[in-house]
Amino acid sequence: MASLFKDPAKLSAYRDRRFNGTQEEFEQALLNSNTVYIGNMSFYTTEEQVYELFSRAEQVYELFSRAGEIKKIIMGLDKNSKTPCGFCFVLYYSREDAEDAVKYISGTILDDRPIRVDFDWGFLEGRQWGRGRSGGQVRDEYRTDYDPDILSNGRRGGGHGHGGSYRHGRDYHRKRHREDDRYGLEPSKRSSEHESRRASDHDSRPEKNPRFRESGDSDDEEEDDRKRRP
Amino acid sequence: MSSWKSILLRIGDKSSEYNSSDDFKDHIETCFGALRRELAHSSSEILSFLLQCAEQLPHKIPLYGTLIGLLNLEDEDFVKKIVEDTQNSFQDALDSANCDRIRISMRFLTALMCSKVLQPASLVVVFETLLSSAAITVDEEKGNPSWQARADFYVICILSCLPWGGAELAEQVPEEIERVLVGIQAYLSIRSHTSDSGLSFFEDDESGGDVVEKDFLEDLWERIQVLSNNGWKVESVPRPHLSFEAQLVAGKSHEFGPISCPEQPELPSTISAVAYGKQKHDAELKYPQRTRRLNIFPSSKTEDLQPIDRFVVEEYLLDVLLFFNGCRKECASFMVGLPVPFRYEYLMAETIFSQLLLLPHPPFKPIYYTLVIMDLCKALPGAFPAVVAGAVRALFDKIADLDMECRTRLILWFSHHLSNFQFIWPWDEWAYVLDLSKWAPQRVFVQEVLEREVRLSYWDKIKQSIENAPALEELLPPKGGPNFKYSGVNGQEKTEQEQAISSDLNNKVKGRQSAREIILWIEENVYPTHGLEITLSVVVQTLLDIGSKSFTHLITVLERYGQVIAKLCSNQDKQVMLIAEVSSYWKYNAQMTAIAIDRMMGYRLISNLAIVRWVFSPENVEQFHISDRPWEVLRNAVSKTYNRITDLRKEVSSLKKSIISAEEAASKAKADLEAAESKLALVEGEPVLGENPAKLKHLKSVADKAKEEEESMHDSLQAKEALLAQALDENEVLFLSLYKNFSTVLNKRLPDASGDATLQSLKSIHGDSMAVDLEELPTMEVDDENGIAQKSQSNGGKATNNVGEKEQWCLSTLGYVKTFSRQYASEIWPHIEKLDVEVLTEDAHPLFWKAVHSGLRRLSNEL
Repeated sequence: MASLFKDPAKLSAYRDRRFNGTQEEFEQALLNSNTVYIGNMSFYTTEEQVYELFSRAEQVYELFSRAGEIKKIIMGLDKNSKTPCGFCFVLYYSREDAEDAVKYISGTILDDRPIRVDFDWGFLEGRQWGRGRSGGQVRDEYRTDYDPDILSNGRRGGGHGHGGSYRHGRDYHRKRHREDDRYGLEPSKRSSEHESRRASDHDSRPEKNPRFRESGDSDDEEEDDRKRRP
Repeated sequence: MSSWKSILLRIGDKSSEYNSSDDFKDHIETCFGALRRELAHSSSEILSFLLQCAEQLPHKIPLYGTLIGLLNLEDEDFVKKIVEDTQNSFQDALDSANCDRIRISMRFLTALMCSKVLQPASLVVVFETLLSSAAITVDEEKGNPSWQARADFYVICILSCLPWGGAELAEQVPEEIERVLVGIQAYLSIRSHTSDSGLSFFEDDESGGDVVEKDFLEDLWERIQVLSNNGWKVESVPRPHLSFEAQLVAGKSHEFGPISCPEQPELPSTISAVAYGKQKHDAELKYPQRTRRLNIFPSSKTEDLQPIDRFVVEEYLLDVLLFFNGCRKECASFMVGLPVPFRYEYLMAETIFSQLLLLPHPPFKPIYYTLVIMDLCKALPGAFPAVVAGAVRALFDKIADLDMECRTRLILWFSHHLSNFQFIWPWDEWAYVLDLSKWAPQRVFVQEVLEREVRLSYWDKIKQSIENAPALEELLPPKGGPNFKYSGVNGQEKTEQEQAISSDLNNKVKGRQSAREIILWIEENVYPTHGLEITLSVVVQTLLDIGSKSFTHLITVLERYGQVIAKLCSNQDKQVMLIAEVSSYWKYNAQMTAIAIDRMMGYRLISNLAIVRWVFSPENVEQFHISDRPWEVLRNAVSKTYNRITDLRKEVSSLKKSIISAEEAASKAKADLEAAESKLALVEGEPVLGENPAKLKHLKSVADKAKEEEESMHDSLQAKEALLAQALDENEVLFLSLYKNFSTVLNKRLPDASGDATLQSLKSIHGDSMAVDLEELPTMEVDDENGIAQKSQSNGGKATNNVGEKEQWCLSTLGYVKTFSRQYASEIWPHIEKLDVEVLTEDAHPLFWKAVHSGLRRLSNEL
């Protein structure tokens, strides 16, 4: 609605190096895609959590506008350990829902982390693997959910930082996300605890993730990979 | 952005463009200076940007109006063009029923009048045009009262201008404006009061006391009268033109040509309640009421506001929400920085909640308001979170009366909101719900919020978040694992044989056997010996178990082996068994139950009718008042059906569009070909057949191709239209089935029908089946006048509910009847005749009848 403050041309400053085509074709793909990329997730976030949150961009309350549904969720996996490594793709049936997911969910919290939601040019087999040197996703920069410049200039998907500079807003350090979510309905007394849990997501993994319904043996992991391919 | 643009955009804001000054006079002078320099060489750019600003930042209209008044002294032609463009876009907006643009254009015209760009008389003419259209609409002889929604909207627009220009009009054209006001009063006396019972937030509004609540127009009219008696003084509207009055009077007033309102649709030729109701429904869709007041805060929080200021601030807030959807930063900063000299956090919260809960649906997806509330909590950390918490408490206290749809939205919002703020909430305040019966609305609310929190997070985390009220763990959902009959662990009652089939099937899937192979195996080795029930149970449970690890696993299994299930569950009876099996496997996980059923419907393994039947099976019916579980499944099924129809409609309409262009292309190609042929024939009077045959051949093939294209499009249109017709028939069947089921279960449980049955009387029946010792409950105060149990209030907040189980079941179920009727009213209205014959008969219980009708908004005077 508000055309005054939006620059419609700017969809994403990130250019995926795996995309075969020109910059215009890339932008066209972003404009038409029903897929969104979600970054900066906790390693423990499950598909069902993603489903619960992202299905909220598709509720049918507006008559005469197509209400979509989630078609697929593809978790990004560490290419060595084959475990989730902090990003995923959500494929909607409709473009409008993808747009609303970018508009309304990006920068909000999922599992204690401010997630980033961007348009994606479309999922292809192979893109579920993290591209970081260690096999996983290169650790996402923290960014604020307020500054669109930071939003579109961060690295993503474990890429090596091609496309997009590492420019940050002046007050990047001041506005790291833990500042943002300090003010709940009641004043928080727990931010230190919160931080330590978050740090543990990346640095040391607890033995057992309480959210996996079953812990698979290694055979199951194989099965896992096979199933993820469409 | 060039500097004049940002100066124009930022006018009135405390911003760097204006050295953080907040004096409007300075702003206007600075901005005027900047524009004057640019006017000579970028006048058309300025014009369009200025109009854009005025439309999208309507709270700054007085500033833009004054600015234009000053520009009028510099360049009359430029301002003349502004007036003309405004007139055109206003007329377009009237013709296309663009409500927001109509409303904002009129405010803009009012501001132009204040700064002497327009004559007050021109504005009065606009008012009179709209008013006379409105008066004709509600005239039974000449007009079409079913279109009152539009007439009301026009009158609301007129009244809405008065806070911005009432003082000027009253001073400069007192007689004319008095005439308009008298006209409005006359209009109010012939229109009918709008009964909102189908759309009100709280049920208790409809109990039908002596005092009829004012509708939106009546309320606004009263506020305007108070304003008029106060000498048109409004604190919330800046009046920057006053500082420039001496200059502005020198400006030339421009003509504002006549505008016209579109005719209202003819009354249907056969006058029937149904045809009238359909038209009324259409009119209300086109001219919806913008907001509805929630009134959740005690009046002490807002009482120092003049009545009109409340209206104006609501307008500001709604406009910011409208235009800054998707611009988080600007949205939050404009919301908190309105040009008013008083605080309005409570009003802001109430306005946002009234949008989030607005019926039949909010202007934007609920998640948008979720985001706005989060952003405001961050923008005003000292003030807003407490106000939001107050709103939650107020709504929680009234939850038993809150509309069912609103309850669902509130649950989704609240769980999502808390998930963004570390799930911190003083749960101990609500721990007392454990003492209430398990169907008490407050208890159900807490339980459903916790369920949604767990879905967004994980069980242990939410358990930890309620540590200040550990007893509430009782309301947490189960831990959510699957309930596999053939796991071998708890399967002692399962025969070894069944166990063996399950592991055989598991191995076949792991061995990547095809669906065909598995179907054959089942048909030859399983079904003949074990029969339907066991076969179905083993196969479905095993496949679900293979797909149980994640959403993706489920989809993969269904994609690969859906055929196996389809083959096994070939009719509705078997599909109902299938759903029951899914529900049993995911007994401890409501989300996976809903997702699995939803996906199965997506792969057409189960029909929507099978889902309806399952939802109304006895074990689910028992849950209607204590859990969202069956309702979530039903909502998904109806919405998926609706989505299919919407998709088909879109495809049909886009095919129609492409047919038009294909036809154009075909006739153009044909014309080209004919032109080329005739041209050849005329060469020198001699038929020169060999001349450029290649070109001719090319044209011919183009023409043929275009013709073919056109024909094939016609074919696909026909095919799609047939599909749509079929889908609409199926939809009719779905709603009939839904309503019949509702009617049946309600008839069994509702107390005997009596003429004056009301929901309130249901609420006052105290159940015999109370599971809770009444002695333990806080004291009840009974309001003598109507016998309604009043909740004991509220500081410390032990509101309670002593409605009996059966009565609460009826209240909840009726609430859902209303919700479905309201949400899909547009889809239901086309089938209303059939519904009247088959469901809404004399046998239908009056309360059921009433719930359907109020959901469809069919209750008011036309019946």
